[in-house]
Amino acid sequence: MRNRYLLVAIVLALVFALVGCQPAAEEYECTDEWGCATFEPGQTVKVAYVGPMTGDYSAFGIDMSRGAEMAVAAHPTVHGFDIELVVEDTQGTPEQGASVANKLAADPRVVAISGHSFSGSTEVAIPIYEEAGIVMMSASATNPSLTDLGSYVFNRVAFHDRMQGEYAANYIYNQLGIRSIALMHDGGAYGQGLAEMAGQFFEDLGGTVVGTEAVTPGETDYSAPLAAVAALGPELIYYGGYDSDAAVLASQMAGAGLEDALFFGCDGTYGINYINLAGGGAEGTFSTFVPIPESGAFTQFRADYQATYGDEQGELSTFSPHSYDATTILINAIESVAVQSGDNLIVPRKALADAVRATSNYQGLTGTITCSDVGECAAASIQFMIVENGAWVPGPGQ
Amino acid sequence: MEAEASRPKQSFNVGRWIRPLIGVVVLAFILWRFWNVLFVQQVYGPDTWMRFAISGIILGGVYAVIALGYTLVYGILFMINFAHGDVMMLGAFAGFFTLEALRGTGLLNQSIFWSILSVIIAFLVGMVAATVIAVVLERVAYRPLRGAPRLVPLISAIGASLFLENAAQLVFGAQRQTYSNPTIIERNVGWTFHIGEGDVLLTYTGVLTFVLSVLLMIGLALLVQRTKMGKAMRAVAEDKQTAALMGIDVDQVISTTFAISGALAGAAGVMWGLHMGIIYHFVGFLPGLKAFTAAVLGGIGNIPGAMMGGLTLGIFEALGPAVLGMPFQLKDVLAFSILVLVLIFRPTGLLGEVLSEKKA
Repeated sequence: MRNRYLLVAIVLALVFALVGCQPAAEEYECTDEWGCATFEPGQTVKVAYVGPMTGDYSAFGIDMSRGAEMAVAAHPTVHGFDIELVVEDTQGTPEQGASVANKLAADPRVVAISGHSFSGSTEVAIPIYEEAGIVMMSASATNPSLTDLGSYVFNRVAFHDRMQGEYAANYIYNQLGIRSIALMHDGGAYGQGLAEMAGQFFEDLGGTVVGTEAVTPGETDYSAPLAAVAALGPELIYYGGYDSDAAVLASQMAGAGLEDALFFGCDGTYGINYINLAGGGAEGTFSTFVPIPESGAFTQFRADYQATYGDEQGELSTFSPHSYDATTILINAIESVAVQSGDNLIVPRKALADAVRATSNYQGLTGTITCSDVGECAAASIQFMIVENGAWVPGPGQ
Repeated sequence: MEAEASRPKQSFNVGRWIRPLIGVVVLAFILWRFWNVLFVQQVYGPDTWMRFAISGIILGGVYAVIALGYTLVYGILFMINFAHGDVMMLGAFAGFFTLEALRGTGLLNQSIFWSILSVIIAFLVGMVAATVIAVVLERVAYRPLRGAPRLVPLISAIGASLFLENAAQLVFGAQRQTYSNPTIIERNVGWTFHIGEGDVLLTYTGVLTFVLSVLLMIGLALLVQRTKMGKAMRAVAEDKQTAALMGIDVDQVISTTFAISGALAGAAGVMWGLHMGIIYHFVGFLPGLKAFTAAVLGGIGNIPGAMMGGLTLGIFEALGPAVLGMPFQLKDVLAFSILVLVLIFRPTGLLGEVLSEKKA
């Protein structure tokens, strides 16, 4: 008896299902290889910013999360569904990066990641998002090997380190006429990778790398490693790392017997923070800057940033426009691939990754952004800056 | 039966041989490296060695002052106050804001007199602030756990340390701050000596830091050895119950000990700021850990031991990687290896006494 009831119930259900389908002709059937994220009315489409919100490098994370926030504020909805920015903290470490990535990958409503912000933390996160089919766009993970992994989910608007190292070596050798350098770095994926790359290119040009010394990031006394470098007699120190450690090095160089040597930082050391920290020691030191072309949109962005957060844009880090662009590209891609099915919104995941990678000629704050087939989307060129009278100005010969 | 009885004897013999063996091997290795670096490779000239030494002695002085705070508290409570480094950080911030305020009013560089006075005020404010925090910390985080097992206040100390670090980040912001020194003791300016092929710079801030460290150490030694309060502290360290029976207010003595250790941490914080220049909410963490190492190295609970441990550690950190031809990033590895080695040969630390054995 029970079987007969069940049979009737199934038949009835099928009939109703067929009839019910009739009016909603656009009922979407998910055919995406990576599956789809489905949002019911009232649910938010989650985009996550992931970076160091606390700890040593929180200035970067706070700045970039603001960029992402402003991007969401500018595009608050897709097809009538609110976008929610989720901000997760990695403290800049790979360990935290992995645990945050796992957490986000487990949330079915997270469709895109604006991040991660540091190379080390990004590297461990890529396989996790790959598994979950969540697309990424990093504003500041610059280690070249990240796109060598051949990941389909990872993209970046950051200018990668191989080019930076090459350009910097060229500039040091040809423009500054320096023939011997020492490399210093903080032992991190970004700093060490960049310093070694610059050293490699410098040697290829015919220069000499007299030695390499690593420092422990976060300390405030580097006089001993600097004295060791001084004994090697380099004309210039090329440093790969972040602003606060670079500021310590720059301010303690003179005391360690390196008063005649130049200090050359990277895009991690550029910023007002560096000058404030290093004080007089910053005078005459170099760094690398990914310039943002002046535009009406950028002027507006800076004004909005200051009005919203009270700080001047560029004070914490220079990456908030990159983060804004990264997040906007993600939101635009979501908008273009999302389909409405009844009252629900469906985001097919692989189609989203395709759409992000297909970005071309997008006019962002940082320039015209086109993604290569490995996910390199950086728009900008590069510029070397020098501190003169307490301010960054373009270095000689540019 | 016979074989079984002889076994422990045999392993005892092995233990007796293994320690001198490790010692000889390590010593031979160090001498060989030293010989190699100094005479064969000649990587560093005498000027560079001098720079290493100066950097190490100054750092060692600061470690010693911080280590004294650890050792004082340990001597009395047998607990490790892991939040001590963060008390130092707060002292550094107090000094920072004082100097900023004085710079704001223009007094900082008005005249030499005002500059000196500003530095003194900064030290006083830093020390008072750190003292208050240390005493409050003891009252809030440690006193309620006085009767608890020894691990409990240790966990509480770690919690307090995290709390102070994060509170400081919330209040002062995550950015690093640069100390504004008066121009008479500007950083990286000082006397230059010509040694070997290069000029060695002895900075004013470095000299100030070292002289002050020595003065603070002498002051503390006098306080503990010559005053009534010091006598009470020694009595409590020796035996709390008996001290209480003798009419000593133990809680009062413990509070005072925390106050003194806080004042020392505050002074170390301001010295750190003036000499190193950059402070932030984590600035106390590593020096705190190193100073704790120094205290253990010298024999925890022992005041001259903390001084010696601090100086030794500072000098090892600055000279060790150079002597051993290691990258400087490994200096912490070296520092802690030395701690392990010292503890293998002298489990009570360099100057540890029978007393600390009894406590342990």
